[in-house]
Amino acid sequence: MSGEDHHDLSYHDTPRIRTREGVELYYESTGEGTAITCLNNFFINAPFWREYTDELVQHHRVVTYDFCNHGASSRIAQEPTWEEHAADVIGLLDALEIESTYLIGTSASTQLARDVALEYPDRVKGLILAGPVLGTKGMRRHRQLNRSWLLTLKSHGMAALYAQMYPEVISGEMNEESGTPGFLGLRESFMAMSTPEELTNGLTLVQSGDTSSELLSRVQQPTVIVLGDDDILLSPTRGHEVAALFPNGRCEIMPNAGHVPFLDDPAGFQAIVRKFVEEAEAHV
Amino acid sequence: MSDTSVEVRQRIRELLVDLFNGDRFVGTVSDSVSLREAGVSSTALVSLLVAMEDAFGFEWDDDVQPEVLRSIDSLAGYVVALRN
Repeated sequence: MSGEDHHDLSYHDTPRIRTREGVELYYESTGEGTAITCLNNFFINAPFWREYTDELVQHHRVVTYDFCNHGASSRIAQEPTWEEHAADVIGLLDALEIESTYLIGTSASTQLARDVALEYPDRVKGLILAGPVLGTKGMRRHRQLNRSWLLTLKSHGMAALYAQMYPEVISGEMNEESGTPGFLGLRESFMAMSTPEELTNGLTLVQSGDTSSELLSRVQQPTVIVLGDDDILLSPTRGHEVAALFPNGRCEIMPNAGHVPFLDDPAGFQAIVRKFVEEAEAHV
Repeated sequence: MSDTSVEVRQRIRELLVDLFNGDRFVGTVSDSVSLREAGVSSTALVSLLVAMEDAFGFEWDDDVQPEVLRSIDSLAGYVVALRN
């Protein structure tokens, strides 16, 4: 079947990795070479990345995992803080004997990528920030959007949340191309990857955290912002301005892509990542 | 079960056979089992939904409830309801 390998959300029967007291994370490590670690954005899980890293794994070691309290990772009573999520990344790297890695963040997890780079600079070789929630003066727009999602989830449930998010997050081009079957098919994945409780906890955490743009100037690692020019949060102009806040940052625009640009063009996104990693490695 | 319902179920199975290039997978799936849990990916589901539009002469609506897409049973029930 043509789509048999796409959005296969099944989990592998692999041992979990213990990162701290009471926390064991589901992970997948595929390929060999320079490590690239993908950070979920609270809506997606580790298996979801397979379709969007299929070319990267031919050249690199790609690590994906489920956050604590999400997907196939362990549940603890206290929802993790951003600092604990960052510590989990390091625990994962330690267990996998990865000295340092490139991080791919998407939407809310671009904030986590930034935090890991600042807190553990020796463990991060570079940042790929897809549809970042980082702005030149903070990110009120993201907080407002996220708050509306939280309210919809609590008031009307997962399907209503999806119906609200889809036209906001998905590009106009993809929306028209995919039509209603595409809308309904992606909804199946959306609803399979998270429970309402998991999403509520994730979106609540996203409402916290430091959105100061000053933090970006402290990130020493090479950074690329990958931005769809149909992103709901940042215009291309703003994307370049945010990238300029990083000491070693640049912005790549993906035409007609939305807030999660790798959904629109998986191959194009991976080509950008590969080029960025190759260039960064050449300067090590 | 009406003849129409049986026919629609059978046609959906034929579409799945076409999509999966054979009946090895479809033969193991009962009418009531969750297609997603049986291993039908969302991309595969999209292909099935498109094929159903062509086969049954209708267009899906964004307001379709998630439960409709769950199984061969629920998909067939939706088509039969449209026809009635």
